[in-house]
Amino acid sequence: MKKALFLSIAAGTVLTFTACGDNGDTNNTETDNNAAETDNNAAETNNNEAGNEDGEEAAQPAEDQTLIYARGGDSVSLDYASVTDGESSRVTQQIYESLLSFDEDSFEIGPGLAEDWEVEDDGLRYVFQLREGVTFHDGTEFNAEAVKLNFERWADPDHEYHFADEGYAYSVYGTQFGGFEGDDGHVIEEINVLDDHEVEFVLNETLGSFIQNMGMSYFAMTSPAAFEEYGSAINENPVGTGPFQFVSWSKDDSIVLEKYEDYWQEDLPKLDQVIFQVIPDNSARLTSLRSGEIDIMDGLNPDDIDALEGEEGIQMFERATNNIGYLGFNEDKEPFDDPEVRRALNHAIDKEGLISLLYAGMAEPAKNLIPPDYLGYNDDIDPYEYDPELAEQMLDDAGHAGLEIDLWTMPVARPYMPDPERAAEVMQANFADIGVTANIVSMEWATYLEQTEAGEHDLFMLGWSGVNGDPDYFFGNLLHSDAIPGGNRNFYRSDEVDSLLDQAKTSIDEDERVELYEEAQEIIHEDAPMIPLVHSIPVLAGSENVQNYVPHPQTSEPLTEVEISE
Amino acid sequence: MEPTSPSKNSPFPGPEHQEPQTSVPAAASPWKEAFRQLVKNKLAIVGMIIIGFFILIAIFAPLLTTYTYQSMSAADRLQPPSSTHWFGTDDLGRDIFTRIVYGARISLMVGFFAVIGALVFGSLLGIIAGYFGRWIDMIISRIFDIMLAFPSILLAIAIVAILGPSLQNALIAIAIINIPIFGRLVRSKVISIREEEYILAAKAQGMKSGRILFHHVLPNSTAPIIVQATLGFGTAILEAAALGFLGLGAQPPTPEWGRMLSDSRQYIQSAPWTVLFPGLSIMLVVLGFNMIGDGLRDALDPKMKS
Repeated sequence: MKKALFLSIAAGTVLTFTACGDNGDTNNTETDNNAAETDNNAAETNNNEAGNEDGEEAAQPAEDQTLIYARGGDSVSLDYASVTDGESSRVTQQIYESLLSFDEDSFEIGPGLAEDWEVEDDGLRYVFQLREGVTFHDGTEFNAEAVKLNFERWADPDHEYHFADEGYAYSVYGTQFGGFEGDDGHVIEEINVLDDHEVEFVLNETLGSFIQNMGMSYFAMTSPAAFEEYGSAINENPVGTGPFQFVSWSKDDSIVLEKYEDYWQEDLPKLDQVIFQVIPDNSARLTSLRSGEIDIMDGLNPDDIDALEGEEGIQMFERATNNIGYLGFNEDKEPFDDPEVRRALNHAIDKEGLISLLYAGMAEPAKNLIPPDYLGYNDDIDPYEYDPELAEQMLDDAGHAGLEIDLWTMPVARPYMPDPERAAEVMQANFADIGVTANIVSMEWATYLEQTEAGEHDLFMLGWSGVNGDPDYFFGNLLHSDAIPGGNRNFYRSDEVDSLLDQAKTSIDEDERVELYEEAQEIIHEDAPMIPLVHSIPVLAGSENVQNYVPHPQTSEPLTEVEISE
Repeated sequence: MEPTSPSKNSPFPGPEHQEPQTSVPAAASPWKEAFRQLVKNKLAIVGMIIIGFFILIAIFAPLLTTYTYQSMSAADRLQPPSSTHWFGTDDLGRDIFTRIVYGARISLMVGFFAVIGALVFGSLLGIIAGYFGRWIDMIISRIFDIMLAFPSILLAIAIVAILGPSLQNALIAIAIINIPIFGRLVRSKVISIREEEYILAAKAQGMKSGRILFHHVLPNSTAPIIVQATLGFGTAILEAAALGFLGLGAQPPTPEWGRMLSDSRQYIQSAPWTVLFPGLSIMLVVLGFNMIGDGLRDALDPKMKS
């Protein structure tokens, strides 16, 4: 009798308290190899209280310059160009550098491994002057040959370091430069080594985002000697020119980096060691921060922001919004091939409600695909207002009253969608209000991306974050018909939009690009291939002792200047 | 949680060999005697009150609350318990009391149907294995062994993974994983009954196997089955909650207790009521069934009589 009593109490309690233990299915590492989604979320530092306020106190540097950065999931690979997940680039940005680099809090482009560059022949020829005296972590000198080798490695499927047989694919290279060697759209015709520290890119067509692309962490430089030494194991043995060099990686736990003593920037980096620690559960990560076990944490629950406000020893950082969370339609399936149905459902979603329920206000409702501060953002678009009655009426007129749909939702928290399952429940309730029955469907992350790419879904939730500040990275990957199968999971095909996007992509005249993108957005709004939901503001928290940490609009940033004070 | 080891001394002896009962009037049937024992057991009474209470709120759910279990309100999110929201609200502003009350329907229903399913199929297989023996017994018993070799929740997860996550499939999975538990119990019981003289007598009269099984063997094995079924209720509800917690059971917006726990687990510090009440409900129901089950076992087991 006692035994049964004990057992049932134990069972009940265990179940109650596993509650706080692990977090089951959400928030996993992402295994997103198919260029599906780049979680490089947003940023720009609106409130940079960290740097300013603490600076005044003239904090003394601490003796132990080890920074522990906690995050929800592990990196997929440290070969940055072959994966698109934000957790991979978070680490590779410390180890590797690109020819150009972005400003610390914007996508303003500036020198990186190249000190200077010239645009010639009306944007058909780019010449980069490389920095001298830069060495890779293995001692190899960084020069023009290294640049040529890296780019040819991605472009040429037959290149000895392309590792196609080992399953490596460089999808972002493909979307950013119009394909690979031999493809019609591939814009890089040749790369010439002019001298040891001067390299020339010859294009066969202008590319509006070429210079921005050169700053992306996808196109960073790996040591040529390391390819020879490690071959396809380069993904676990990264050798770059960055401020930190690779020490060890224990999967699903931590990645340890240490200061590169011969780094080309004098007196940098300031940290001696950086550890990227995986703590899957958002609440557990916050507990670790509070107890001082970690220094910075990504992925703060929006609900914890209030509690942390003014808490002793903790500071918070915001990344400016640089993403979109959306609910997409599969236009290849009935009745979503009917624009009237898509417009009706657009009226059904209460975005403000979604934001107050799930984002604690840290998001703004979206009406376009690109974030508001992007080049070409069309602010004249009149959003589909939340109006359940109108929505129901429109659906009825279209002959689809009482529709039953499958609503696919992501199994992992994303920067643009902190709790996708909850968001799905909210939208399910919104749809129920107009008489539409939505069945929530969820599956493992990699499968989810695969199946939506294959068009198995009705409606699906997903998002996208910018990594180079260029609108083409959004439009081209998500709504161009060339991205089928691929990022265009809406199966949206519009010749008009395709041609506008193509023109905008190859144009190097900014005003012209703005016009083209604005026009494209009008058509897209009318066609309604998706319900744009939110542009979110990801929030991070850190110890007060962390100095000079400035979140970048991408998911992550180099920690070169970061320092720990007493 | 194995409730009773099938003993040679049947707790519910057949009429053929009724033991003389000294303390009870001769007219009292064994069932009446068992019931008398049961109501003397205070814990069993408490268990019955708990379960009775949950059955009542499940039946009268719509009368107990003015909210619907799926209506959301941003203004009311994470409200602590108050006179308007007795158990507070969750992160989507839904009334937790309402969800608990409707959740009782789900949990009790899952418990009931899963146990019935496991009982019917388990008993059937157990009787066949126990009565016919030889290779039939061999095959059925080995299948039971294989199923029992898996941790039950793992097997349930595997079954739901194959069928797809839904409340109905979770129910089927729970029924399946409980089949061998009933099966083995009945089998061992049948093996001991098979050797009884009254079975031999029945056979000698030329009675058909089916009739012997269902008219003599089965009625004489009911006591342990009833005990196991009562305890199984608790386990089934717990397993359903576990599957719900893992997102493999009831799908939103169905208010399932285990799912409510997992959905609110990140608020355990800031809004503990969101996990406290679903957790408490699961605990109480499981506790209730276990108390009744224990009481029944004591009442039906002659060895336990003081």
